Amino acid sequence: MEYFVFLDYFSNVFTWYHLALLLGGTFAGIILGALPGLSPTMSVALLIPFTFHMEPASGLILLGAMYTATVAGGAISAILVNVPGAPANIATAMDGHKMAKQGKAKEALHYCFMSSFVGGIFGVIILIFFTPPLAEWSLKFGTTELFWIAILGITIIATIDSNSVVKGLLSGLFGLMLATVGDNPVLGVDRFVVTDHLTGGVNIVVGLIGLFAMPQVFNLMENYYKDKSEALSATGSSTLFQSFSYVFSRIKALSVGSLIGSLVGIIPGAGGQIAGLVAYDQTKKISDVQENYGKGEPEGIVAAESANNAMVGPSLIPLLTLSIPGSPTAAVLLGGLLIHGIFPGHEIFVAEQTKEVVWTFIDSLIVAQVFMLIIGLFLSRHSGWIMKVPDNYMAVSIFVLAVFGTYSIGNSYSDVLIMTALGTIMFFASKAGFSAVPVVLGIILGPIAENNFLLGKLIGGARYQGDWWLYFVRDGLNITLISICILSILYGVYSTRKSKKNT
Amino acid sequence: MVFIQLENQRKIHSMKPQFKISSLIVTLFAVALLVASFDEVFNPNPWTENEDYLFPRFLACGIALLSILLYFEKDISKKTSFKQLLPGLILIVIYVFVVKTVGFYVTSLIMFFSVVMIYHKREESTDFWRVCVVKLGVSVVFTVVLYLLFTELLNVYPPKGLFL
Repeated sequence: MEYFVFLDYFSNVFTWYHLALLLGGTFAGIILGALPGLSPTMSVALLIPFTFHMEPASGLILLGAMYTATVAGGAISAILVNVPGAPANIATAMDGHKMAKQGKAKEALHYCFMSSFVGGIFGVIILIFFTPPLAEWSLKFGTTELFWIAILGITIIATIDSNSVVKGLLSGLFGLMLATVGDNPVLGVDRFVVTDHLTGGVNIVVGLIGLFAMPQVFNLMENYYKDKSEALSATGSSTLFQSFSYVFSRIKALSVGSLIGSLVGIIPGAGGQIAGLVAYDQTKKISDVQENYGKGEPEGIVAAESANNAMVGPSLIPLLTLSIPGSPTAAVLLGGLLIHGIFPGHEIFVAEQTKEVVWTFIDSLIVAQVFMLIIGLFLSRHSGWIMKVPDNYMAVSIFVLAVFGTYSIGNSYSDVLIMTALGTIMFFASKAGFSAVPVVLGIILGPIAENNFLLGKLIGGARYQGDWWLYFVRDGLNITLISICILSILYGVYSTRKSKKNT
Repeated sequence: MVFIQLENQRKIHSMKPQFKISSLIVTLFAVALLVASFDEVFNPNPWTENEDYLFPRFLACGIALLSILLYFEKDISKKTSFKQLLPGLILIVIYVFVVKTVGFYVTSLIMFFSVVMIYHKREESTDFWRVCVVKLGVSVVFTVVLYLLFTELLNVYPPKGLFL
């Protein structure tokens, strides 16, 4: 196995066009990440249609830069306003905002971007070295295993991302159901076409934008008149060099954060929120200054931020090899890969054309970390104004861009209607505790699940004289995947019960 | 620690019990799907061996089963403040139905201006005309930038109606 193949494609990143995309993506990503009303998942979803007209490598570079930067940018509002820009920054807010209150916001932001950089680089290295062997292993997956992998992806996201296992699974099933609507090229039939607008089915990107962007538009409108906390100014006395020496003197926090972040990233569906919180918790346990945690301890920021950015790279490992995203934003990125005709699996690392695209994309993530550090440190000095963007302007801009993006995918007005309808339903469903991520995953993995189900049924029917279902439950790998599905559901039920007991 | 964080989030969500309208909607939805999968309008030969609707039928059964469990779940619905939401919702509905006929850029300009005018905080400014001019200016700049960036630079064309 060639481990250093990534070096061959590094030069592709260093073209003026790609560097400009990285710069623009990082800049916009940090600002969008810092805006408390906008999640990284939504920002990446909204960007996908605009990458549609680019070369696959260029589009993915832009999406990757945005993904990296939004996770780091979310720390700005966590520190200055105590409202995490993204769930990934919840742990950062615990000590970050306390530091800002003590007049050390500038230091906190420095620590943030520096540790994000270290974690991010570590994560991409893990991505580079772990993806090829896992891709090779994925070759062992046959029809039934691929079916179970799709179900597993939805189950894990449904149990982790939702407040209730039942609602999470229902959201996943709803997504799978949406994927069956419209023209099915394999079966050659139109299904559930209640109106002509549904003939083309629900396009993945249309679903992504509707489910992630529209609820945020409604949320911004609904909460417009609510009082918001004022942003503290980014003041402090520390120089860049002082911050740099502090961060690198906290080797323990950096390494625990990066390691835990990477591990959580590889786990399907877990995401930055869990990475940040687990790393914060574990670093606290082994710290010499435990009592200072939660009172403005910089070490807490170092642990949380190195972890949530270390999650970014590894969250792409299960995505690129098995089509299972390691985080909600990675799920959106999967949509980005698919519209560029890149279907995850071993083949993308073998075929010359996709190989070049994928390795250029992975290499660009390293450069994106460097850009994130430089732009982040620069923006952190002037970050107060970002918080002042009024919600009404944000809401209408997101909506207009959502309509534009949706339409541009297939020049179809039906897509605009579907996007708006899905988004409105999702907004009200989220009020009842349903989550958008399992729905999206259902739409993405639906065709994989159904096609492999029908194929498996055909093979199983022939092999087991009609008892086709036996084919789905025999063989060690199938049993392992089913067991993980069941375990993740049981874990979800257990953790919900536990939280109810404590209520 | 992690658990406490996640649990706190769940607690926030589980404070206001409400009528379980969501469970009812989900059950009705599942039943409708099952009925549709056997309906001859969609599926010409529903009772034969064809597999066109097999997978959706399994899914509908799954949804129906889980919707029953939903009745035993503690309701965690959050209230919607329709008073704030309604103007925006109405504008969005009008926009979606008008955009095709009028054209994307003109409709978007009107939409942008209407939203920022309707969602207006008292403390922004007391001078109505000044607010109007500033907001109209921002709306025009936003639309023009969108046009230059996408249509002129990237050659991406939005819905074109009577106007641009």
